[in-house]
Amino acid sequence: MLSHLIKRPQWSFRALLIALCLLPGWVFAADMGNCLLCHKYPGLSRIDKNGKMKLMFVNEEIFNKSVHSKVKCEGCHTDITKIPHEPAKSVDCLTVCHIIEPTSEQKFSHKSVKKFIDESVHSKVDEDGKLKKFSEDMPTCKDCHDNPLFRPLAFVKKVRPGIAEDAMGRCRVCHEKEDFIFRFYNHITTRLHKSRSPLNIAEACGKCHDDKELVKRHGLTVMAGSSYEETFHGKAANLLSETIPDCLDCHVVKGKSVHQMYGNDDPRSSTHPNNRGAICNSVDCHPNASVQFANYQVHPVFNRDQSPVVYWFTTFFYILTGGTLLPLMLILFLDLLRRLFPNATFRRRK
Amino acid sequence: MAKYPRIKIINGEKYFFRFDMDLRIQHIFLAGTVVILVLSGMPLKFSDASWAPYLYSMFGGITMAPTVHKVTGAIMLLLFGYHLFWIAKVIYKNHYLPMKREGTYSTKAFLMRILKLPMVPNKKDLRDIIDLMKYLFYFTNVRPNGDEYTWKEKFDYWAPFWGMFIIGASGVIIWNKELFTQIIPGEVINFLLIAHSDEALLAGLFLFIWHWYNVHFSTSVFPMGTVFLTGYLNEELMREEHYDYYVKVMKEEGYEKEILPPHGGGHAPSCSDYSSKDDDGDTSSDTVSELEASDELAKEGGTAA
Repeated sequence: MLSHLIKRPQWSFRALLIALCLLPGWVFAADMGNCLLCHKYPGLSRIDKNGKMKLMFVNEEIFNKSVHSKVKCEGCHTDITKIPHEPAKSVDCLTVCHIIEPTSEQKFSHKSVKKFIDESVHSKVDEDGKLKKFSEDMPTCKDCHDNPLFRPLAFVKKVRPGIAEDAMGRCRVCHEKEDFIFRFYNHITTRLHKSRSPLNIAEACGKCHDDKELVKRHGLTVMAGSSYEETFHGKAANLLSETIPDCLDCHVVKGKSVHQMYGNDDPRSSTHPNNRGAICNSVDCHPNASVQFANYQVHPVFNRDQSPVVYWFTTFFYILTGGTLLPLMLILFLDLLRRLFPNATFRRRK
Repeated sequence: MAKYPRIKIINGEKYFFRFDMDLRIQHIFLAGTVVILVLSGMPLKFSDASWAPYLYSMFGGITMAPTVHKVTGAIMLLLFGYHLFWIAKVIYKNHYLPMKREGTYSTKAFLMRILKLPMVPNKKDLRDIIDLMKYLFYFTNVRPNGDEYTWKEKFDYWAPFWGMFIIGASGVIIWNKELFTQIIPGEVINFLLIAHSDEALLAGLFLFIWHWYNVHFSTSVFPMGTVFLTGYLNEELMREEHYDYYVKVMKEEGYEKEILPPHGGGHAPSCSDYSSKDDDGDTSSDTVSELEASDELAKEGGTAA
């Protein structure tokens, strides 16, 4: 059979074609440029100028489950035109990539995000277009975004992460291409909730907002991540709640995107004192809560200079706890010890 | 009181009445709810600890555990309410009504009578603590003789009493924060949260270390104290922890001749002169001679220390 194939190359070609068709469609989705020829090797890495090791390995299976799996490598790495290539420049997320956006039929780009970011609190420039002080601290796309994996929601009676085969079944009635159904379902349902858990988001924001130095030089009042962790919200996030409010639920104006965040003193901001009440008493959170409910400090500070009352209140409980338990522990310990020498005494024996 | 004889004799051993069925059931509910509340609450307080998710998932994780915590808390508060009712009932029946009947009732006399109830802390407790310190620091070889309820037991009672009030009240407000913040400002919730969790940590550590040591793990009772189940305490522990009360009950129940010397601590081998310590001075000659007899015995084998 094998010799037969070798003798007649057109047959082997057909056999190969059939074999390829049997493979899941997405295997070859992104790698048109044959980048995986090298990048499939797990050890592929190099030490860069700063002496840091960079891993160049691309796990194809994982990449293909990510939101960018349809984008060709050279769609983002535009400076690479031939193999082997020079060290690649870092990716500019605002690049116009080859994907055609179906509603406008234009080439797709994340450029529109820039406009929002520039107006937001995270902008590198102020209103006059001048660079802010410490503008290098301001986040760029990749400080918050990685290449997230699809995180579909399972609909049809159960709302949980994952793919609902029941829902996919409905798609299959009209749509034939399995790959398309899979991707379309993922594309839509991943965006119906957050692609990250609340804990994940708090950690992402905390990268900067829990950085003591950074918080200080930007004159921020709280360490946002660690203070969030002091409230029920943060604690539930730590225990992997998916429904608990995270940073974005309060700091992003409803119906807007995360890129349109404003400072607390900006009247457009959802956390501006005038708007705060409306975040808490939304139907999804604490319906019927009063406006003063929102005075609850969601970023409590326990330090002496900023919140002396909270500080002394906490200290009182430390003292109460220590003052109660330590003497009792001492008695307990001495009692155990005394039981070894029940009769011993320094004084006259009674 | 006939229902619960103060001294029960089973197989020749005397057992002393401590807690009736009502109190024992209250205690079981209290102990059960405390354990569940601590286990379902601490993972939240220490949410970043490695053990927290595992313990929390035993109660259904973040989707279920808060409900478990609230329902259990509600049960505990009902118990607290019942206990207050129980106290009122006992005082009414055993103190208010008798005083009214005897015609000795006045607000002052009534209050004085309440302050003399066995569970109310008094001067003897302070003296006992000082005497215990002397004993624990080897200044004497005699442990203080406890009354019906020792200072440890009063502490074990009043500490959770105060704790349940603080934790319960703050818990109810945090639970119904939307309702309460119609009146109180939102910042108060921050303070209540601190009070709730810090007080709970104190209560948990207090009960699981101090209380459990005293009632289960101390070498006198190990492996387990049974009084919370049976309501009766054996004679040995009675002589060790509640000697004054033991003597009183023995006399009142007509077992005067069978009174044994104190037990445990420095007492057992050289339980010297109970009679001289006895303020009443009316210890019978029989008891004294028995004490002296055991003193003789002690001298033979008690020179080790």
